[in-house]
Amino acid sequence: MNEEAHVEKLTTLAEAVASIPSGSHVALPGFPITRCAMAFAREVIRQGIKGLTISSCVGAMDGDMLVGGGAVERMICGGGSLDKFGRLNCVNRGIEDGTLQAEEYSSLSVAFRYLAGSLGLPFMPIRSLQGSDLIRQIKERTGSDVAEITDPFTGENWLVLKPLLPDVSIQVVHTADAEGNAWIMGPRWDNAEQAKASKRTIVIAEHVVSTEAIRQHAEQTVIPGLLVSHVVELPFSAHPTSCYREYDYDAGEIEKYVKATSTPESFKAYLDEYVYGVQDHWGYLEKVGGMKHLNDLKADPILGY
Amino acid sequence: MVDYTPSELMAVAGAREIKDREVVAVGLGLPVVASFLAKQTHAPNMTMLFELGVIDSEPIHAGVGLADPRVWYRAKVLSSFVDILGSILHKGRVDVGFLGGLETDQYGNLNTTLVGDPRGKFRHMVGSGGANDIASSAKRNIIIMRHDARKLKKTISFVTSPGYVTGGESRAKAGLSGGPSRVITDKAIFGFHPETKQMMLMSIHPGNTVEDVVGTMGFAPVVPQDVPYTEPPEKEQLRIIREVIDPRKMYMG
Repeated sequence: MNEEAHVEKLTTLAEAVASIPSGSHVALPGFPITRCAMAFAREVIRQGIKGLTISSCVGAMDGDMLVGGGAVERMICGGGSLDKFGRLNCVNRGIEDGTLQAEEYSSLSVAFRYLAGSLGLPFMPIRSLQGSDLIRQIKERTGSDVAEITDPFTGENWLVLKPLLPDVSIQVVHTADAEGNAWIMGPRWDNAEQAKASKRTIVIAEHVVSTEAIRQHAEQTVIPGLLVSHVVELPFSAHPTSCYREYDYDAGEIEKYVKATSTPESFKAYLDEYVYGVQDHWGYLEKVGGMKHLNDLKADPILGY
Repeated sequence: MVDYTPSELMAVAGAREIKDREVVAVGLGLPVVASFLAKQTHAPNMTMLFELGVIDSEPIHAGVGLADPRVWYRAKVLSSFVDILGSILHKGRVDVGFLGGLETDQYGNLNTTLVGDPRGKFRHMVGSGGANDIASSAKRNIIIMRHDARKLKKTISFVTSPGYVTGGESRAKAGLSGGPSRVITDKAIFGFHPETKQMMLMSIHPGNTVEDVVGTMGFAPVVPQDVPYTEPPEKEQLRIIREVIDPRKMYMG
């Protein structure tokens, strides 16, 4: 029973990305500058996929790059930033000039929309958003994604949210097997609910191991393989963002990105150099300094960064 | 007299608002210092939560934000939004939320979304994150903000996180209990009037006058007849901030 994977899910990033039609709803895994699907975002832009809806509880660097690269039409999120490195310049510019259709919630309201989707529930009541301009704006912009109902047991009024059902969730994980059974170390923010709410998940793993190795510590499996359509083994796929217990964020490269995103012209030059100017993720890793530089980012096993 | 900075006084004032055994939802910056200070002094059994899924971490290096693994170091729990903001906050187990923002008004409504005219020309900033959730579901909220007429405004551009909405009973009518209990600035501490829910001056930091405080706000707070001075930090509190919590000036730099 050593060969357990019967369906071939192991593939390249390019093939996994090519499975996503333009116009799809993609749930993105990053949290401002950590475990962002950066290699994925670069490949989506390279392949010219357009018109995506992206979602996440907190907007992060992966979403910002996709917006800046012209791949996104609509974004569902609870705000976002690059922490102290700066704001989501591409997202903000899109919201300010009206080219990005932004539906802004709070972290928990997006998490509850995924949770409702993950459980197959028709809606999820929530206490958040009420009395704010967020709910007013959501009603104006979407009309049908929120509603009010009366609790049949108490007669109280509740705001309810429509489930989010992404076409595909992208998950940047530490370890997975060929079936896609995946381990995420450290906090998981919205990742498990995203994967369970989505029709399918693409797992991008730092390490692909045997199913036997997964079975040894199966309590660490956050995403069951049955949810997964593609498994891609790709080290440093979150670069320049961090991956807890694997590698730290690359402050110099994030600063370069923030500076580049300050105008559409300078970001075009950035994309020409780091996305279109390299053939694939391996070319990108060489571009940013190769093994010598990446080795400096490796995490200390006690600290995790 | 002990020398201290306005930020140190704000952190001490924040710490004094936390009782032992309370559960506190924290953002980065001064609230972290206030929370650690409370934990190291009068509230050893308090619990500190970060929204993305982190409980009771003990950072030893400066973090750039909640997404920095430096901030998760030595946590007791690493989990998820649904665990922290759902099973703990939305369930009603968070006693105190600490919130900051770009702007607040006299009812403690907070804006972190945009500056300018939302229907005209504006600059988009960071949005809610967990702030709206904390403002909606914590039993009480403490707002920490720089004292400036551009931040303490009559009308704010966008209500990201509700305070007492339009005052009086309007928060309860919106379906929310709790609400902001204190606003701590570098000049004063405010509470809220029990009926009108307008911001009300509680104490003035030593070295300031009522005129200094009120004259640098975009709205007129309720000013009671006798306003005491804020109790200055104790020597021991300052020692803990400077030597134990923030020796590298990660937060108070």
